[in-house]
Amino acid sequence: MSDPIRLQSFITLSEIDKSYRMGGQTVPIFQDLSLTIEQGEFVAVMGPSGSGKSTILNMLGGIDRPDRGKLTIGNSQLHRMGEGALTAWRAQHVGIVFQFYNLLPMLTAAQNVEIPLLLKPLNARSRRERIRTVLDLVGIGDRAHHLPSQLSGGQQQRVGIARALISDPQLLLCDEPTGDLDRKSATEIMEMLQFLNKELGKTIVMVTHDPESTRYADRTLFLNKGVFESREVAA
Amino acid sequence: MTFLGLASKNAWRKPGRTILLIVSVTIAFALYAVLQAFLNGASGAAVDQGRLVVANGASAAQSLPVRYLDTLETLDGVDDVAFSARMRGFVGTEDNIAVVTAVDPERGYRVFGQELGLDPAMIEGLSAERDALLVGQMLARAMGWQVGDRVSITGFHDVQKDGSRNWAFTVAGIFPGKTASTDTYFAIAQYGYFNAMRQNGADTVKNFVVIPAEGVDPQSLAPKIDAQFANSPYPTRTQSEKQFLQSFMRQIGDLKAVVGMVVAAALITIFMIVVNTMAFAVRERTFEIGVLKSIGLSRHRIMSLILSESLLVFTIGGALGGILGWIACRFADPSIGLVFSVAGWVNIAALTLGLGLLSGLLPALNAMRLPIVQTFKAR
Repeated sequence: MSDPIRLQSFITLSEIDKSYRMGGQTVPIFQDLSLTIEQGEFVAVMGPSGSGKSTILNMLGGIDRPDRGKLTIGNSQLHRMGEGALTAWRAQHVGIVFQFYNLLPMLTAAQNVEIPLLLKPLNARSRRERIRTVLDLVGIGDRAHHLPSQLSGGQQQRVGIARALISDPQLLLCDEPTGDLDRKSATEIMEMLQFLNKELGKTIVMVTHDPESTRYADRTLFLNKGVFESREVAA
Repeated sequence: MTFLGLASKNAWRKPGRTILLIVSVTIAFALYAVLQAFLNGASGAAVDQGRLVVANGASAAQSLPVRYLDTLETLDGVDDVAFSARMRGFVGTEDNIAVVTAVDPERGYRVFGQELGLDPAMIEGLSAERDALLVGQMLARAMGWQVGDRVSITGFHDVQKDGSRNWAFTVAGIFPGKTASTDTYFAIAQYGYFNAMRQNGADTVKNFVVIPAEGVDPQSLAPKIDAQFANSPYPTRTQSEKQFLQSFMRQIGDLKAVVGMVVAAALITIFMIVVNTMAFAVRERTFEIGVLKSIGLSRHRIMSLILSESLLVFTIGGALGGILGWIACRFADPSIGLVFSVAGWVNIAALTLGLGLLSGLLPALNAMRLPIVQTFKAR
């Protein structure tokens, strides 16, 4: 596999503050958190529950916003964008892979993958071609017309990855993508993500509890009580 | 797959629930369609707005002298006049009601001919024999009468001079009505024969029907007619045909309001059930809505998705209900007088659209407003 080409800082979190209101009290999650991720990098984030892993992922996806600080991805300053702009940005620039796949149960694999394309002005033929290409890429082209209930966990996660890839985003955010899979399926999914990173140049940020999965990342960040610890390791 | 396709798949993800919802909406709209048809028939959907009815001013149930015809005919602004007497009777048993309207054949043809689907041959047949009878298609179908049949109608109140209440007629023709909504559940006899044979009420009519001359406003002609008979023993009350039928309906109680309230209660109840079920169905999918938002569907797309689902349920239910109502009207006993009009379909379509959007609005707004982070906590 070739080395990724690192052109510039792709993601920059600068002096981020974030807190939540819980039971009438303000619970701080991050204070002055800063982080840089380069384009084409594969970063794993580990840490105990409540450490802020999901919050980081949500902020990178434009799902949640920092209370203070700057969050830049590519040329987009997410901390300055409103909800509508974030939604449009997300549709174009981010693919999200969930732990429990979150496929719509009444849609086939192909139809699940097609959902993000409903927002794009594509004709039916181009749409079909893109779906076939991306399903073949994740190795599930022969299951295109199966419902999620007819697929194994690993196959469903491949559909989830295909859905995240269909808009050809620069950034993939993975929320414990192997958390619901057996070891064999987990290995296949991690190899798939590594392929997308190394061969297609996708920048990947993955939250995981599984130390085994971090082997595929370029570096692993340990988050504890909203602070990155110095156990940073290169892959 | 289209956006509407996605909405449709969502709506059908629990087929049992969706079918029950559609059945509820179907029943509501079938009820509404039949109510509309009933009120339409009761308020005279098929009547001519330009014609005037001259009835007894004291009560429409009382008669007027037939001699008023001479005055009416010579009045300025009157083009033509017809008159009728009415006999309510039954065939065989008292619940098998038949109404006979006695008219002057030529005048009746000129004034009502087109609306009732009469042709010159029928009028010739009606005029040929004193006891000839033209039977409306619905009445003929209900009684099983054919042209040439000798039939007997027993009058409730109208007695012949020899004391008999049995009036014998020969069916000379069957008139179809101009449209399917025209009331043809009655028969037409010769006024001359009916008037000559009856024991009471000789030389009286139930009412006159006046056709204003071209360019004459019926509403300004009406008071002129009443002025002519203001100081006579039988003052008149002249109204448009529609007003006449509506005031007649009011005499037997505000049926429209009562039936309307019952159907409105049914509609509101079903509407609330649908809103509640839709809200529940959307709440069940809170997490999924978050997922859709996270992959780029905007708040307004989510709102449209939910609204499309409720609209789909109402469109299918409304269409089925309308068709069911139409079938019920078509095969109902003609004596009920159900008139299903084009306006009925338009009303059903408008109500389907309105209620479909309204029932989805609350769950759609909730889904639209939910922050993604909060939806992720719903798993």
